[in-house]
Amino acid sequence: MADKSGGKGIAAAAALADFAGLLGKAVVSGIAAGVLLALVTLGLATTANAQSKPNDAKTGTLLFRAGEGAFAPAPKVETEVTIHVTGIVARTRVSQTFHNPGAEFVEGVYVFPLPENAAVDRLWLRIGERVIEGQVKEKEAARRAYAAAKREGKKAALVEQQRPNLFTNAVANIGPGEFVRVQIEYQQTLTLDNGEYRLRFPLAITPRYEPAAGSEGDASLHPAQEPGAVPGFRKTGGVPDLPAEAVLHPDYAPAGCGAVNPVAIGVVIDFGVPLAKAASSYHDAWIEQESATRTVLYLQREQEEADRDFELVWSPGGGAAPQAAVFTETIGGTDYTLLMVMPPQPTAAEKAAIAPLPRETVFVIDTSGSMQGTSIRQAKESLLRGLATLTARDRFNVVEFNSATRPLWPDALPATEPNLRFARDWVSRLRADGGTEMAGALSFALDGRDTPGYLRQVIFMTDGAVGNEDQLFRLIASRLGATRLFTVGIGSAPNSHFMAKAAQFGRGTFTYIGDLREVEEKMSALFAKIESPVLKDVAIRWPDGTPVETFPARVPDLYLGEPIVVAAAHSPHPGTIVVSGLRGTEPWSVALTPSPSGEPTGVGALWARAKIAVLMDELRLGADETLIRPAVVKVALEHHLVSRYTSLVAVDVTPTAPGGETKSSLVKASAPLAAAAGELPQTDTAFTLQLLLGLLALAAAGVVALVGRFIPAGGAQAPAREAEGVR
Amino acid sequence: MSAHPVNGPSSFALRGRSYGAEPPAEPVRARRPRRAPWLAAILLLLALAGWQLGGAAWIQAKALLAQHLIASSWAKAKAGEAKRPWPWADTHPVARLTVPSRGIELYVLAGTSGRSLAFGPGHVDGTAAPGAAGNSVIVAHRDTHFAFLRTLHEDEEILVEDALGRVARYRVRESVVVDKHATRLLDPADSPQLTLITCWPFDALQPGTDERFVVIADRLPA
Repeated sequence: MADKSGGKGIAAAAALADFAGLLGKAVVSGIAAGVLLALVTLGLATTANAQSKPNDAKTGTLLFRAGEGAFAPAPKVETEVTIHVTGIVARTRVSQTFHNPGAEFVEGVYVFPLPENAAVDRLWLRIGERVIEGQVKEKEAARRAYAAAKREGKKAALVEQQRPNLFTNAVANIGPGEFVRVQIEYQQTLTLDNGEYRLRFPLAITPRYEPAAGSEGDASLHPAQEPGAVPGFRKTGGVPDLPAEAVLHPDYAPAGCGAVNPVAIGVVIDFGVPLAKAASSYHDAWIEQESATRTVLYLQREQEEADRDFELVWSPGGGAAPQAAVFTETIGGTDYTLLMVMPPQPTAAEKAAIAPLPRETVFVIDTSGSMQGTSIRQAKESLLRGLATLTARDRFNVVEFNSATRPLWPDALPATEPNLRFARDWVSRLRADGGTEMAGALSFALDGRDTPGYLRQVIFMTDGAVGNEDQLFRLIASRLGATRLFTVGIGSAPNSHFMAKAAQFGRGTFTYIGDLREVEEKMSALFAKIESPVLKDVAIRWPDGTPVETFPARVPDLYLGEPIVVAAAHSPHPGTIVVSGLRGTEPWSVALTPSPSGEPTGVGALWARAKIAVLMDELRLGADETLIRPAVVKVALEHHLVSRYTSLVAVDVTPTAPGGETKSSLVKASAPLAAAAGELPQTDTAFTLQLLLGLLALAAAGVVALVGRFIPAGGAQAPAREAEGVR
Repeated sequence: MSAHPVNGPSSFALRGRSYGAEPPAEPVRARRPRRAPWLAAILLLLALAGWQLGGAAWIQAKALLAQHLIASSWAKAKAGEAKRPWPWADTHPVARLTVPSRGIELYVLAGTSGRSLAFGPGHVDGTAAPGAAGNSVIVAHRDTHFAFLRTLHEDEEILVEDALGRVARYRVRESVVVDKHATRLLDPADSPQLTLITCWPFDALQPGTDERFVVIADRLPA
């Protein structure tokens, strides 16, 4: 018995050893087969990837490498910026010096941002001592001229507008070791807010974090609004010869290797009056008061890294009464006038003295389903804040809309305490549900009515989740009347574009509230601003009474801290221009006499730029492009401006390069300060990986099954056979 | 009776020991125990395959099925009520995108959260509405809805129908590859255009690539 059980134990142990050995071999062979298959598949996938590149190039896709480029050494660009400020106009000259460090002729393409309202009107190509001035041509014609020059081996420069604030400069046939300098000039009007002038020169290439000072809200929430060049934006538009394999993707320079494309900036401010304050917001700069009226500023480090926008803020010593300034320029028998009316900064005593107009305020609140959650709470909170600012002289109404429009009352009622209490109760009961039918609410609020003696305002609180933007813009434009529309963006991701444009068409402002904690501060600022319309019913009387084309066509009201800037074109007629309006309830007017200085002030270009912007807005409103395009081209050609349809091109007379195909490469751009400031959504799944892993496992299972089949029935030779099976 | 259960395993053990000494009498029965380890490995690998393939299939199934559910809610949306495709959905269809030359029909959802992108292409909040003037941006997964972008070439037509039943025609202008930080692509444009974005390279094994494949199309006059 004992003997038998001992034999059994040995037999069991041997069987177990056998079993374990086989299991091990099976697993090892399975894994081996899997790894082999994986390697083969990976190899195939890599080959497929490599092959896909030329295919992509065929369809116009750029090929890029983030590290060391496979292209010729990228040309470098040094930028010098000189800004001359006269009053509220700034003329800027941007000099870009292209240097080709390589041994072959190359084409350099430089993508660079400019301020949104920049009127680019001059281009010079400097080769050694020679200067070739650029000509404005229609975009296609300019491209053809550039392409022809490039083929013939001539040096040429082409400046194109990609977006209103993004331009490209392409320079053809830069010789080995050669320097080519391209100069661009543009004109812009400055922004004036609360007594401070602000001048911005965009330098950075991606949206980045901004210090809270001077900017409102969290910059990272709406990064796309910040000017900055796009890495990798390319626009060939089917033109065969332009950057054919140009890489408009600036590969980032490694961090810490200093400025790749350095920029030096100098600013001269000729203001007429001494400045109370002047400061560079983000860069260290030297500021010198050269004379009583002239201030000079330049960046402390000559070669500043282009990772943050340059911003200069200054303020003159201002008085309390509205100030006005006028600039004129005569081009080809037409006078161009730029008119500025600065609102006063009323003192507390004055504020009390000026009886503000009573208001009729209509609050419109979006209660659609998309507002559910914190959005509706923010909107309600904002509305209640707004109600609290009303006084007994004011009138008000509240309108909610989702799928349908429901006003609190058919018409506005005086803001008495019982009425306000009733409204507050009504508002607190509102619930977010249903669709977003904005048109009905807008039609109700903008009924074209004007209540005499009242300043009519519509405060529109929404997340702007609508699909029929253009239709709504048309509705606003046609029904606005004397009313002003102020939009308040609610929620984490409101449709800012819609609301900013809606406010523009409604001649009001756009306020963005991204957080419940901001409601108090933002709404107070908004109501403080619109509580005190400094000037209403602004009208301009021109000397001879003839129709004058002004931009903006309708002069908006002057709110606290905001200036009015109007550009006009009219027949030459010396005389005084009278700007009038209502200050509080009292009529106010100022007579301005333009004093032609004789020297070109660039006002014509500003007028033309404003006109192009208006035409482009019309296009957004649904105007026919076949009508808009010729109009834009006409204005742009007349005033020598770069626009969406026109470009500046300069071509050298003598060929200097062998011609034919030249390598083109994109100029490297500086790494952004915060690289991850904004990202496009991630749009891949683990599908490929899972599919591959799944198939591999399946294949491995098959291999194991196959191997298992060849396992012999047993016997001494079994291990040898197994080895064969694995092989 | 108790001899049987004892006998079974003991005879197995005995046979196992006699294995090396003499050839087995019954090969078929002898192989049986040898199969067990192989079978285990096969089952293990099959389970792994099932898990991974199931995951892959689930991705595709969600992408396909959701579009069918959305199709019916789209019909309702066109009738005037913004309906969620399924009761717990956090999004709703905003447009129907078709590429006639490729037989592609996709329902575009509002917003681009990872959850909604599994079900359909997403319209980027803040960009122009699909079919409207300006720059309308739609993103989708490279391995499901927007896999066709890879072969889409210039001058092909894309149709976009909005909730009011208006159809805008677009023609592909160009395709480019950009870095994922190129948020300027979302900026408003002067002229009406459609920007379709997906991840690049299309063949990348792992998710989370740094590049995006972008197709830009211009609206054709109606």
